[in-house]
Amino acid sequence: MPADVRLLADLDKVIHEPARLALTAILSVVESADFLYLQRETGLTKGNLSSHLAKLEEAGYASIEKTYRGRVPLTLVRLTDAGAAAYKAYRARFKRFLEKT
Amino acid sequence: MVDIEKIEKRTVRSFYEDGLFEIALGAVFLLLGGYFFAQAAAPEGSTLQDVLSILFVFVIGSSAFLASRILRFFKRRITYPRTGYVAFKKKDSGPGKRVATAVVAGIIGASLAALYSLSPSVRVLLPALNGLLLAVAVLFFANKIGLVRFFVLAGLSAAIGFAVTAAGIGDIKGVSLYYGLFGAAVALSGLATLVVYLRRSPRPAAEAPEGPDAR
Repeated sequence: MPADVRLLADLDKVIHEPARLALTAILSVVESADFLYLQRETGLTKGNLSSHLAKLEEAGYASIEKTYRGRVPLTLVRLTDAGAAAYKAYRARFKRFLEKT
Repeated sequence: MVDIEKIEKRTVRSFYEDGLFEIALGAVFLLLGGYFFAQAAAPEGSTLQDVLSILFVFVIGSSAFLASRILRFFKRRITYPRTGYVAFKKKDSGPGKRVATAVVAGIIGASLAALYSLSPSVRVLLPALNGLLLAVAVLFFANKIGLVRFFVLAGLSAAIGFAVTAAGIGDIKGVSLYYGLFGAAVALSGLATLVVYLRRSPRPAAEAPEGPDAR
């Protein structure tokens, strides 16, 4: 298999999906963000956002905390250490792929 | 294709989209203007002037602390209910970077102090120098986050500094006028940004619980 194709094939599939890539990119520069912020920044519907966050959580890349601010329910999302490392690796690999092609 | 860098930059920029940071920063500059005005108004060599000189560090520290608390308060009341809560990572600068920052700040402070002690004819340059220094700082910041209005503010800082010096209002009175004018400009820029933000981002109606469990 050619090296550039190998690079593409080895990309993390959980992160590579466009909506999840946008989510991890946002979460990589923040400490934590709530559901409303992520929905607004990504333009995803509630259902879509929920499903992508669930996938990231399932992979151990994001942690989701259900809490309250006053009486208002708050869903706080943050990238886990594994998620941050996976995103960093994805970013480097993808950059290398773009340079080679 | 998803432009990762663009998303990362836009996320960082989102902190400034409500204008609250500029309003708080403008308030700090206005406070500094007030402080320098009090120093200029105090009789030369008086105890009040000495006390004000000693209080300088306290004024800077407390105004920055107060501004950050007020900023947080208004973010909670205005921004988070409209566009969501986000906490940004605190940058942990290494000891080398901290020492370099302290050295640069020390050199700038010492140069200004030396300039001030030279002669009244040189002191007239103080507003222009303050304007230029802040313009460079704002320019770096504007370049980093990529918001056009901060480039305009950087230009305005230099222009106000030079205008005050050119008008012959040098020395501490000129510095006070510079901080007053620049503070007002920054706060006004923030207010205009806030008005646009409030128009664009109405408070969403209360809905059912959100998040992955809400489906």
